[in-house]
Amino acid sequence: MSNGLTNGDGDLLRAISRGNEAAFLEFYRRYQGSVYRFALQMSGQVEIAEEVTQDVFMVVMGSARKYDPERGSIAAYLYGVARNFVLRRLEQERPYVTTLNDPESEYAGVAAGVPDPLADLTRNERIDSLRRAVLALPPAYREVVVLCDLHELDYAEAATALDCAIGTIRSRLHRARALLTEKMRAEERCAV
Amino acid sequence: MNDNDLKLLQGLQELAADGPRQAPEGVEQRLLGEFHKRLHERRRNRWLGLGTAAIAAGLAVLLWVRTEPAVPAPRMARVGTPASLKAVNQAPTPPPALSLPPAYERGPEVAINFYRLPDADELPPMESATIVRVQLPMSSLRLIGLPVSEDRAAESVQADMLVGQDGLARGVRFVQ
Repeated sequence: MSNGLTNGDGDLLRAISRGNEAAFLEFYRRYQGSVYRFALQMSGQVEIAEEVTQDVFMVVMGSARKYDPERGSIAAYLYGVARNFVLRRLEQERPYVTTLNDPESEYAGVAAGVPDPLADLTRNERIDSLRRAVLALPPAYREVVVLCDLHELDYAEAATALDCAIGTIRSRLHRARALLTEKMRAEERCAV
Repeated sequence: MNDNDLKLLQGLQELAADGPRQAPEGVEQRLLGEFHKRLHERRRNRWLGLGTAAIAAGLAVLLWVRTEPAVPAPRMARVGTPASLKAVNQAPTPPPALSLPPAYERGPEVAINFYRLPDADELPPMESATIVRVQLPMSSLRLIGLPVSEDRAAESVQADMLVGQDGLARGVRFVQ
């Protein structure tokens, strides 16, 4: 997702507020991938990611003209809305949260679909292990890792999306990476 | 940056590149369905708003025609009698206080703020406004999101319509 207000975003949002379907479709196609991946990386569940993506674009549909570019980029705005929906869903589904070992999960399908399982085994294991570690982080740390490390937002953009200070983002990211390194080391020790 | 940090960052880059890049097709379909539904509701509300404005404008014209003041009769000069001429030097007596006819002796009325009518934002900016007092069905309170029970929906309520220079209503306030 682009970090700034992409050329044409403002026009698209204005057209959406007037009920222009083509503008909505273009806007959706421009940003849906990032929103969906963010929700999936935050929740680890395809169902939640789908629902959150739908909810985010319904917000856009209903309040496109309320978006204020002065308050941050469209990307930060969308991530911020998505984050609120993800946290709400995780809170609701806390007792039922599934793990990535679920064979029905989208990630499991991707891993199983590789053409040469032996060659990619190590890489896939490493990615799965890191994904589990990210999902096991407390939400406040997980969201900064997902935004800054997986979606490559800068600190200022992440701070806008999460509605907090840049210093908070920096310190949470530092702590989150330390936690991840610790988890990865622990897994390596277990594997040995 | 030590080896562990580098390894972690490399792993995170691989993780970022991994997994699905797009939301499933069904999400787009559901959103388009919702978009159409909202568009339909919006159009319906716009027609309702225009209908209300037209009724208000019609009522305004009716009220204006009915309350147009009659042409006053020309004043006649009075010829004073000698007795009245003497009275000129006396202190003037104040005129009796005006008393309102019974029709105007109403209880205190409370008007709340104007509510923006649905789609009033779409209309051109208001340069001048006229407030028109009308009777509306209680059910019209729903237009601005106030709850109205079914058994009272048919009752009428007094309202002030804020009508712009183009004759289209921008807002409404209900008078209790």
